[in-house]
Amino acid sequence: MRIESRDQFEALRSQAGEAAASCEKKILVCCGTGCLASGAKKVAEAFAEEVARRSVDASVGFMVKTTGCHGFCERGPLVALQPSGILYTKVKPAHVGDIVEKTLVGGEVLPNLLYKNPVDGERVELYEEIPFYKHQVRVAMRNIGHVDPTDILDAVAVGAYTGLAKALFELSPEKVLEEVAISGQRGRGGAGFNTARKWRSCREAPGDRRFVLCNGDEGDPGAFKDRSIMEGDPHSVLEGMIIGAYAVGAHEGFIYVRDEYPLAVVNLTIAIAEARKYGLLGDNIMGSGFDFDIKISRGGGAFVCGESSALMRSLEGKTGEPRAKYVHSTEKGLFDLPTVLNNVETWAGIGAIIDRGGAWFASMGTEKSKGTKAFSLVGKVKNTGLIELPMGTTLRTIIFDIGGGTLGDRPFKAVQTGGPSGGCVPEELLDLPVDYEKLTEAGSMMGSGGMIVMDDRTCMVDVSRYFLSFLEEESCGKCTPCREGLQQMLHLFDALVEGRGAEGDIDRIERLARAMQLGSLCELGKSAPNPVLSTLRYFRSEYEAHIRDKACPAGICRELTAYEIVEEKCDGCHACFKACPVDAITGVVKEKHEIHHDICISCGACFDVCPTQAIRTFPKIELQRAEVE
Amino acid sequence: MMPTLHINGRRVTVAEDATILDAARAASVHIPTLCQFDGLEPWGGCRLCVVDMSRESWDDDWFKVVTACNHPVEEGMTVLTDSERIVETRRVVLDLLLARCPETPLVQRLAREHGIEKTSFEPNPEPDDCILCGLCTRVCDHIGVSAIASVNRGWGREIAPPFHQAPPDCIGCLACAEICPTDCIPYSTSSSRREIWGREFEMLRDPKTGEAVITKEQAEHFARRSGVPLAYFETSDTSKRREMAKTFEKLQVVK
Amino acid sequence: MKMIFKVSVERCIACGKCELACAFAHGSEGRPAKTRINIHRRGPELGTPVVCFQCDDAACVAVCPTEALTRNRETGAIDMVRERCILCRMCVAACPFGNMLWDETYHCVQKCDLCEGDPRCVPFCPTGAIAWVPVEEAARPPQPLDREALVLEGGV
Repeated sequence: MRIESRDQFEALRSQAGEAAASCEKKILVCCGTGCLASGAKKVAEAFAEEVARRSVDASVGFMVKTTGCHGFCERGPLVALQPSGILYTKVKPAHVGDIVEKTLVGGEVLPNLLYKNPVDGERVELYEEIPFYKHQVRVAMRNIGHVDPTDILDAVAVGAYTGLAKALFELSPEKVLEEVAISGQRGRGGAGFNTARKWRSCREAPGDRRFVLCNGDEGDPGAFKDRSIMEGDPHSVLEGMIIGAYAVGAHEGFIYVRDEYPLAVVNLTIAIAEARKYGLLGDNIMGSGFDFDIKISRGGGAFVCGESSALMRSLEGKTGEPRAKYVHSTEKGLFDLPTVLNNVETWAGIGAIIDRGGAWFASMGTEKSKGTKAFSLVGKVKNTGLIELPMGTTLRTIIFDIGGGTLGDRPFKAVQTGGPSGGCVPEELLDLPVDYEKLTEAGSMMGSGGMIVMDDRTCMVDVSRYFLSFLEEESCGKCTPCREGLQQMLHLFDALVEGRGAEGDIDRIERLARAMQLGSLCELGKSAPNPVLSTLRYFRSEYEAHIRDKACPAGICRELTAYEIVEEKCDGCHACFKACPVDAITGVVKEKHEIHHDICISCGACFDVCPTQAIRTFPKIELQRAEVE
Repeated sequence: MMPTLHINGRRVTVAEDATILDAARAASVHIPTLCQFDGLEPWGGCRLCVVDMSRESWDDDWFKVVTACNHPVEEGMTVLTDSERIVETRRVVLDLLLARCPETPLVQRLAREHGIEKTSFEPNPEPDDCILCGLCTRVCDHIGVSAIASVNRGWGREIAPPFHQAPPDCIGCLACAEICPTDCIPYSTSSSRREIWGREFEMLRDPKTGEAVITKEQAEHFARRSGVPLAYFETSDTSKRREMAKTFEKLQVVK
Repeated sequence: MKMIFKVSVERCIACGKCELACAFAHGSEGRPAKTRINIHRRGPELGTPVVCFQCDDAACVAVCPTEALTRNRETGAIDMVRERCILCRMCVAACPFGNMLWDETYHCVQKCDLCEGDPRCVPFCPTGAIAWVPVEEAARPPQPLDREALVLEGGV
């Protein structure tokens, strides 16, 4: 089973390809974490049962495959059919019988399981015609959704380890470095540091022992691209790391996976075991003479361990705290030895770059941001999920063409990019091409690719507060500006959202923000003020309203917002009555309903369910003024 | 190679492995510190020693904020310890520390020196004197004992032994208490008994005079670590001097 | 010229002036307990000065965890570097000759540092029992002390 030469690898590849092609009709059930949570396992089991039942009749040949995340998480459980290319959405076990009978056997499409384009109401049959997928160019995520992540041969059949074979047998380590340099790939974890430059400085560092590490600690709330890659195509990560190790001369690698990704750990473990079995990891890889092996290390539940120096300390068995960066980790990293640390998505792209050439990768993207990038599109958008696009795609395309626009077509307000280190980009900048420099200029950043869409029912002060409270919990506490600053910034914001803001608070916030940016030890603290500063830049009036008028313009902050039913619009449907968690609404069916302010907790549940938009928000302070009068 | 750099306009040449703080001291420029201690590796946690630094190859007006205690010097470097943004950052750091430890004399004094009488932030509702400088845990690690560590993340960070119980590894050397800049680690010691972190230690007493300066555990740990024989530790300095004197008397010729 | 601290035990009359001189030289109150040179008194006008030997292979240096005890190449002394001292008292316990002292009042360790090359105790010794001499002279045997001649005027 061990591959000991390139020829043997090629033979295995064609063998695997034939095996894959032998079964004509395939049922690909998405079993990424998102679809699993929606019940995909039962769907897969139902298909397996159904197919087993039918294979009594030998003329029918179906294969059921569980795959990684297709990305269209909003519509899961997803089932893709090959070779027809039909995608069925929101599949339940009850639908399985019909799908096999009517579609696979009968060739008939089931319209209610198809994706319905929210813009024109049309049902779209084919996977590649759905706007969500049509605009995508999948490089790092090239195989996810097509392969069973627990079957190495499935991955090999579609090209896994082809790049590795080329690197080991056609290119010297120096040439590999050059190819990655030509591609212009920049780190996909958030910092966007040029990959080839990082590898080169490690390669040039003195010493025999060095490491390559994979940062699988994806900590940004709302980011799940690395999870999908580790779960759905672990071999792309392994392949990338082996190529990288070959380029820098490392023989040991670690994948640091956050503790909250158990499926990723399972699938990576299986992938490593299989790779070892086939001689693609371990001693004498593919008979090339190059030795390299990988171990998995699980995190302990700390966002700060996604920071590279903190990650290395955690890997060493110490408390995950960053250290001063004046000594580069490419010279003194893990155990004070030369180390290359790259993000999951960065590694996943390497195999394709070597296989298809750096120039191919560089042909996509913008001048300074080459290639493609994965984004997790979430928030108040119709099509939430995972997408991969060439750099330079505009925010408008992403949110409206791919994302289908805001939920309920409410007015778009901003898109938050880059997680807790990023900022909000307002409507006037929607035609911004997405790349590292442009986003930074706009006061935000690329980060790991999270994009949270916000509508008019989002309070920007509240959004900043949310990110501050996240970071306050995750700060390691080593340095004063971050540890104390986040806590004090949170106090200030708690006051703002509760109507206790005072004149001068914005100045206080800005002073603290500056000190945190300049004085913090690591990027967690340095970039913590970003959401605050960017919302102040574009939505300052909201802050001023919270302070001066004790009002929340978006109608979100509970202490500042009251709800009332507009009589003329209320049709007595009783939906709000049912939705209210504290019984603050009185009314009889078909008659006007009323919200009682003394009981109402301003949660907005009634607002969300009212079919006639009969509920409006107004500043709570007006109630108090009315009382006084 | 001894690099020459400028600190606040003063020219100074220092050893190749010097830090900006070393260079500042050589140039008689004062940079305040809290978590720095000469006998320990720099930590860079308090952020009080921040300075503006510009490399030789950079534009003249391009500076980066770095901590002086651990940043290496380079030929041609320019350092400013009192630029506006540095002074302001330092003030905010002290303002924040004063909020955490409003009743601690050291913090009050440093804050006052920078023009801050009262914190402009929300003061700690249950203040203590720990400024989380990490010196205690660092010296304990340096000695090779590691009996205490920092626990909890973020604002709830505190210094404690494992599970807040009496640390089994502690040797009672008192280094943590002695190095603490705010004296917030309590202990008691006498010639018979020593108590710290909830652990009680028996002192290593001179059999004749009953004097003691260290615990039994300290003697064992350091004998192992340094190669100095355990027997050296077992008598007091008074007894040793007497023995020494007696030895000399044997050599002496007195008429 | 390399100098060395020479102790001629037979010349010591246990007057204690060196102890006082040392105490006064290191601080303003001159507490006798602060002295780094100690006279072991064993009889009338009979004393043995005990002071740091500035050992070549010092136990105090070996045991110090922060290198707060270092050789001063000019004076030959082992100096205390107070900024590095963590007050663990290990040096006090380790010195085989008892020349490392713990000062509780000032809460610090004390040792003879040869006053940076000009020992303050030496000029006060009436008999030259302690001397700061060139290395070559150190080997020369001391002059025996004429104790009879030391009788004070006006005494009985």
